[in-house]
Amino acid sequence: MHDSVWFETQQIPAVFVASSAFAGAAQAQADALGLPDVRRVFVPHPIQDATDDEMRAKADAAVELIIAALTA
Amino acid sequence: MTALPSFVLADQAGGARRFPPGAPAVLCFVKEDCPTSNMVVPLLEALYRALDGAARVWLVGQEAVGNALLVDRYRLTAPMLDDSALRVSYVYAVEIIPTLVLADGEGREQGRLVGYRKDEWQALFAAAARLAGRDGPAIDWDAYPDWRPGCGSRTLEPGIAERLQAESANGPLRARRIDIAPGDDEFEFMFDQGLTDGLPVVPPTPERVLRMLTGTRRDSQQVVAVVPPNMAPATVEKVAANAVMAGCKPAYLPVVIAALEAVCTDEFNIHGVMATTWGASPCIVVNGPIRARLGMNPGVQALGSGNRANATIGRALKLILRNIGGAKPGGVERSTLASPAKYTMCFPEAQEASPWEPLHVERGFEHTDSVVTVFALEGPRGIADQISRTGHALAASFGLALESVWHPKVRPYGDVLLVVCPEHAETLRQDGWSKARVRERIQAVAARPLCDVLRSDECGEGVPAGRWGPGGPNAEQLKTLVPKFAAAGNIHIVVAGGQAGKFSAIFGGWVGGPAGSMPVSRRIDE
Repeated sequence: MHDSVWFETQQIPAVFVASSAFAGAAQAQADALGLPDVRRVFVPHPIQDATDDEMRAKADAAVELIIAALTA
Repeated sequence: MTALPSFVLADQAGGARRFPPGAPAVLCFVKEDCPTSNMVVPLLEALYRALDGAARVWLVGQEAVGNALLVDRYRLTAPMLDDSALRVSYVYAVEIIPTLVLADGEGREQGRLVGYRKDEWQALFAAAARLAGRDGPAIDWDAYPDWRPGCGSRTLEPGIAERLQAESANGPLRARRIDIAPGDDEFEFMFDQGLTDGLPVVPPTPERVLRMLTGTRRDSQQVVAVVPPNMAPATVEKVAANAVMAGCKPAYLPVVIAALEAVCTDEFNIHGVMATTWGASPCIVVNGPIRARLGMNPGVQALGSGNRANATIGRALKLILRNIGGAKPGGVERSTLASPAKYTMCFPEAQEASPWEPLHVERGFEHTDSVVTVFALEGPRGIADQISRTGHALAASFGLALESVWHPKVRPYGDVLLVVCPEHAETLRQDGWSKARVRERIQAVAARPLCDVLRSDECGEGVPAGRWGPGGPNAEQLKTLVPKFAAAGNIHIVVAGGQAGKFSAIFGGWVGGPAGSMPVSRRIDE
């Protein structure tokens, strides 16, 4: 989130990706850093025990959302 | 000559008296319960009558009721100004009553007397008459004593001094003031504002924060650290406010400051510690002479409750991380479970019960230094060993317990803290065991063959086989012993606890090394 905000303040579009369990944390941090609408994409939680194939599926499902967020 | 501060005060008739008045002036600060004030009031009345019109002679009284009594008692016609709010006394730096100030027509100070010495008062009355271009009053000075002591100004009374300093534009406080309605309960207000850890906090009134600031020589506006996750600058003043909230005494403030400096480093990585789902929290270990000066408890229940310094220093750091840094549970603070150590975790090492060098000396400081060392740790857990009589046997118990941190199969692991109780320390002393030897024994006992700690369907967690390439480890590698800790130095050892009980304790950590959190020590700047 800190990195996203830094990039955005340099006029470089940035999006961060996290698992859905961190949506609240992301908003709290975005609000605190003064950029409440920072671009974000959430993938289904959890990540820790996901297999490589499950991770690829999460990435495949998220890639269009990430592109859309960056080009919005 | 210094220009005196301007002011407007009401006299006994309710009229506004403005200083500077555009004429020479004599101001005398008095209070009714001061015998010397009572002695000089008639002298000032005489001076007022002699100089009236050409100079101002004003009494400045520090108590509304007392002022009225003085006016009646001496049938005063001279103006008695109401400074019961004490603001004028404060800005005039009045410490002793009576204080007599002579000002010229431009409001510049020409003379100041404190208490009563007859020769000085005679000289100042003569100087006032000269400034006014009048003859002074006819006073029988022989009827007065040569000398009388003054009394303390009300501005110096406990509570009042802090209030006046807090109200002063030149005071050390810059934080936003919040006024609470008279009908509001200030403790409930602090809860409603989301500024507590779930327990009540002491409301950080300006007076309390000023008292707290007496605990440090640092400037109130100096930035101690930039506190993650919100990267908020924590000034000494804001640290002091949180120390008040935690219940600290002013003498504890340097420890809180040192601990905050220590956690806000790249090595300690408080950002990660507070944001991780794991639930670690800063644990402060205090070494050196300050332990005794603050009355810290290294003995019975050292890791528990009951000692103000232990409890509130740790709590102050946690409140700073929450209220300044923004690490609020449910917000950026995401611990799955955490532990009561999130409220507070601070204790001093029982150096006197230790057979070894204390922690701070081990980490490169002098014995005479007072030092905080911060670790990112869970809550503590006990290790009972009431049987072992040798270092070899006892250190094995430590190793077996320490193997379980994070997960018994996960290795190599980072930093942990072993708290050796005095009875266990004595066993190790009698057997001549050094800390290094204890660490070696822990590493030996906690080591397991690789085949026992690999991830498997029997128990998912453990060492990933992929570390040995796509084919995993070979038969020979499966037999190799894998130590629990990356290095013996990851096992930090201090002594604490009551004299009775063969019960030590361990604290598990978080992620060690540069990607996680490493212990940091800071000398306490007293």
